[in-house]
Amino acid sequence: MAAMAPAATVRVRLRAWLEARRAGMRARATARDQGDVLLGLRRVYILPTRAGLAFIVLLLVLLIGSTNYNLGLGFGLTFLAGSCALVDMVFTARNLADLRLRPGRAGAVFAGEDAPFELLATNPTPRARYAIRIDVDDVREPRHALDLPAGGSGTLTVRVASRRRGWLRAPRVRLTTSFPLGLFGAWGYWQPDSRVLVYPFPEQAAPPLPLLGEPSPDGLGGAGGDDFAGVRTYQPGDPLRQLAWRRIARLDPALGGHLVTKQFEGGAKNELVIDFDALPSSIDLELRLSRMTRWVLDAESQGLPYAFRLGRLRYDAALGPAHQAACLQALALFLLPGGDGDAA
Amino acid sequence: MMQGLRMPALSRDKEDTLLLIASTLLVLAPHAAHLPPWVTLVCGATLVWRAVVTLLGRRMPPNTLLLPVAAAAMAGVYASYKTLLGRDAGVAMLVLLVAFKMLEMHARRDLFVVVFLCFFLALTNFFYSQSMFTALLMVVSIAALLTTQLTFQLTGAVPPLRARLLLGGKMLLCAAPLAIAVFVLFPRIEGPLWGMPEDAQQTSRGLSDTMAPGELSNVALSEDVAFRVKFDGPVPPQPSLYWRGPVLAAFDGRTWTRLPPRRIAGRHTVSLAIGGAPVRYEVTQEPSNARWLFALEMPLTLPDLPDNPATLTGELEIQAARPLTERIRYGVTSHIDYNLQLHADGDVARDDWLLLPAGTNPRALAEGRRLAAERDPTRRVTAVLRRFRTEKFTYTLAPPRLQGADSIDDFLYGTRAGFCEHYAGAFVFLMRAAGVPARVVTGYQGGELNPLDGYLTVRQSDAHAWAEVWLEGRGWVRVDPTAAVAPERVQRSHAHALPAPPFGLEKLGRLMGPQDPDALLSRVRFAFSALNNGWNQWVLNYSVQRQHDLLTRLTDALWRWQTLAVLAAGALLLLAGIKFAQRRRSDPVDRLYSALCQRLAQRGLPRAPDEAPAAFAARVATANLTPDARAAAAEFLRRYSAWRYARETAPERHVFNTLQALLSRVR
Repeated sequence: MAAMAPAATVRVRLRAWLEARRAGMRARATARDQGDVLLGLRRVYILPTRAGLAFIVLLLVLLIGSTNYNLGLGFGLTFLAGSCALVDMVFTARNLADLRLRPGRAGAVFAGEDAPFELLATNPTPRARYAIRIDVDDVREPRHALDLPAGGSGTLTVRVASRRRGWLRAPRVRLTTSFPLGLFGAWGYWQPDSRVLVYPFPEQAAPPLPLLGEPSPDGLGGAGGDDFAGVRTYQPGDPLRQLAWRRIARLDPALGGHLVTKQFEGGAKNELVIDFDALPSSIDLELRLSRMTRWVLDAESQGLPYAFRLGRLRYDAALGPAHQAACLQALALFLLPGGDGDAA
Repeated sequence: MMQGLRMPALSRDKEDTLLLIASTLLVLAPHAAHLPPWVTLVCGATLVWRAVVTLLGRRMPPNTLLLPVAAAAMAGVYASYKTLLGRDAGVAMLVLLVAFKMLEMHARRDLFVVVFLCFFLALTNFFYSQSMFTALLMVVSIAALLTTQLTFQLTGAVPPLRARLLLGGKMLLCAAPLAIAVFVLFPRIEGPLWGMPEDAQQTSRGLSDTMAPGELSNVALSEDVAFRVKFDGPVPPQPSLYWRGPVLAAFDGRTWTRLPPRRIAGRHTVSLAIGGAPVRYEVTQEPSNARWLFALEMPLTLPDLPDNPATLTGELEIQAARPLTERIRYGVTSHIDYNLQLHADGDVARDDWLLLPAGTNPRALAEGRRLAAERDPTRRVTAVLRRFRTEKFTYTLAPPRLQGADSIDDFLYGTRAGFCEHYAGAFVFLMRAAGVPARVVTGYQGGELNPLDGYLTVRQSDAHAWAEVWLEGRGWVRVDPTAAVAPERVQRSHAHALPAPPFGLEKLGRLMGPQDPDALLSRVRFAFSALNNGWNQWVLNYSVQRQHDLLTRLTDALWRWQTLAVLAAGALLLLAGIKFAQRRRSDPVDRLYSALCQRLAQRGLPRAPDEAPAAFAARVATANLTPDARAAAAEFLRRYSAWRYARETAPERHVFNTLQALLSRVR
C-alpha cells in the first residue's frame, strides 16, 4: 500500500467518517419516514418482574445463610445465581433490541368492525428470539406472541375496534418479553406508520334504493335500461346475466378472446343515482352517509350500476370494486378535516 | 399397528413438567445421603406420583388430600428430629415441601416457587458436603434449573431440548466470570450472624472442652488466628510444634470430655523429667472466650498473667482463672525433650486412663482385646498405627457424618475417612481396650512462620487432636495417629495436609505402570492433593482474613510500576490492533468511493446497493447536478471502476490523488 501525505489521509478519513455518520442518520430518518423502525437498545426499557424481585429476596436469603453457616460453596452458589440473573437481564434486553419493525398492509373496514393492522417484525441478528409478546399499548395482557429465528421474520395482525368513519391511525404497539428466565421484563414502544380507512357504518334498516322511476317487478331493477346498445369489455363486478355469452362463445380465449358484457341504454328514468343532496337535510349527516353506504353496498350486490354524488364529487354510473371503493372512501372521508385531500 | 405401538409424542406441558421433575430430582438426590430413609421414600414416591399424573394426564390430587399428607409428613419430621426448628429438621421439611409443591402446581407463579426453593435446597446441601463433586453437581443442577425456567417462558416455538440446554449453559458460562469476581471481591462478613440451637457448639471460637466427631473439623474450617508466637531462639522443627490444650479422658461412646476436676486434684504429683535446651517464646493469644492457654509440650513455667492467674492441671493443661475476652500476651518456657511421669504412682489414677463405656463400640472393643494378646505395649501401639497407615483410611476436612451411637465402630469399620479427632478418638479407644493407658490431647499443631517478622501464626485451622499413651519406663508418650494417615499434616501445617486419594489409587497405580508404581502414584496423589488444597484454601476457607490479604497483595501489585507498564502496553497494543483492523477493512481508495456515494446520496442520488460504478456513472450523467460536478463524478466513477476492476496499473497513490481532486469538485 502506497504511503500518502498523512494530513490528506486524516482529512479524508475524517470526512468519510463524518459523511458515514450523516448517511447513517439519514438512512435512519428515511426508515422512520417509511414506518420502518429499528428498535434500538436505547428504546428498550427493562425492570425486574415480580418473580425477579422474589429472586432478589432469595439471593439475600442465600447470602445470609452462607454467611451464617460460613459456607464457602454457598457464597459460590449465591454469586453464581446472582450473576445468572444479571446475564438474564442482558439476554432479555437483547431479545427485544435491534428488532426491525415495519407496518404491513392495512385494509378497510366498516365502522364498528375491528380494524386489522398487519405488523412485520424482522430479526436482522444472527441469534434467535423467542416469546416476544406484542399488543396494543393499553391492553394489559398481550394477545400475540412472536418467535423469530436468526434472520427470520414474522407477521401478526393487531385488531383495534373502529368507532367512527375516517382514517384510523395504527395504535401505539407495545412489545414485551421476559425470555429467557422471566426475572426481568423488557418492553419497547412502536408507533407503526399505517392507517386503516373506516367506512361509515351501513345503515341496518335503510329505505330501498332510490331508483328514479318504477322498480321492475322482479325486484332487480332495470339495470342499465332495456335497450341493447352494444358490448364492451367485461369489468369485474358485471352481473353474469349481462355477459354476452353468444359473443364470448365465438371468441377463443386462447387466441386473445375475452369476456364481453352487453350494454344497455337505459332511459333516464331508470338510472340509479346515490346522491347526497337528494337526501333530506333534516336527517343527521352521519345517518345520511350511513344510508348512502348501505345503498352502495346494495347496488353492488344487486349488480345495478349507480352514479354517485357527494358534495362536489360526481361519479358516473358504474359497477365494480374500484367504483365501490372510491364511493366508500368518499363517504368515509366526507367533511373530515384532512380527509378531503385523500379522497381525491 | 406400528402406529399404536409407538410412544406418542408428549405434549408441550407434559414435556415441561417432566423437565421440572428431572431438575428437582437433581437437587433433591444429594439430600438422600443425610435424610432419614422415610423422607427420601416419601419424596421419591411424590415425584413418581407427579410423573404419573403428567404422563397419564390424570388430575392433580385435591388439597383435601394433600394437606393431611403434608401434616403427617410434618409430624414425621418432628418424630425423627424431636424438633421442627433446627437445621437438619428444617432441611427435611424443605425437601418435603418441594416434593409436595410439585403436586400443587397450577400457575406459572408456582413454577418460580419450586425453582427458587430448589436453589435454596442446593445451598442447604452444603451443610453436609462441600466437596468438589458437590460443587460440580451444583453447577449441573443450576444449569438444569435455568433450562427449566427458560422452557416455561417460551410461548410459541419450542427449540429442541439440546438447544435449550445450550442456552442455559451459555448463560451459566457468561455468569461464571462475574460470579468468580464477586466471590473474590464481595465484602465478607465474619459469620455466624446468629446461633442456631443445634449448631451452638459451632459458634464457639476455638477449641471446646469436648470432642465429638465433626466438632473439631468445624473449628478447623476457620482461618481465624488462634495465637501468634515469637521464639527467642530458632524455631523448633514443625513436627514438634504441639501446642497443648485440653486433655480429654472420659468417653461416653461418642463424645470425649475432661475428667471431673475432683478426681484429679491432689491425687498424685506430676513428675516431669526434662532434657535438651529450653525453648523460650512469647505467645500473643486472640480472645477466645475460653480459659485455655496454649504452650508447647511440655511447659516448664507458668504464664504470668496479672489479675487472671493461670494454673497447671494434673494433665499439664494451663488454665486461666477467667475466660479470655481480650488479646493477651505471655511468656512460656518449654522443653521439647521430656519424660512425663516416668513412674506410675498409683493404680487408681491409671484406671481413669483405661475406662471405657460399657456396651458401646463392640467391634472396636473386641479388636482391642485381641491386641492385648501382644505382650509388649509398644507393639500394640505400632500395630494400630500400622493399620491406619496400610488400610484405606483417609484424612479429610469434610468427613462423612457418623450418625450411630457406636461412632468408633462406624469410623473404623465403615467410613474410614475422618479428621484428626476421629483418629485420635479411635486410637485411644483401641489402646484402652488393649490395656494401654491412653488419653486424648487437643490443641494446635504446627503454625505458619512468617520469615519477615519471625512470628509463627497458629490458626484455628491448625486445631488438632492427638493421643498420649502411658508406657512403662517412658511415661506418657505422645502418639499422633493422624500422622500415620497423613504425615503431611504434621510435617507442615494442616492446610497443606493432603488427603489420600478417595478410592484405591494404590491398586490403580500398580495396574498402570509396573516399572515404577510409586512415582506415578505420588504424582497422582500430589495433583489430587494440590487440587483439594486449593479448593480448601480458596473456596471453603476464603475468609475475611484471606480476602483482606489477597486484596492487599492485589493493590500492592497493581501500584507497582511494572504492572502499570504492562497494563499501559496492553492498552496500546489493543488500540493498535483496533486501528489495524479498521485499516484492513477499507483501503483509502474505497473510502474515497464511499465518500463520493454518500455525497451523491446527499444530493438525491443514492447508489442502489447492487449498482456497479459504471451503471451508477450512467445515472449520474443525467442527474440534476452542476455540469462540473456531474463531469467530475462521472470521471471519478470511470477511473475508480477502471482501477478497481480493469486492473489499471497506475500506482495507488496517483489514483488516490486524482480521485481526491475529483471528489472535491463534486459540490
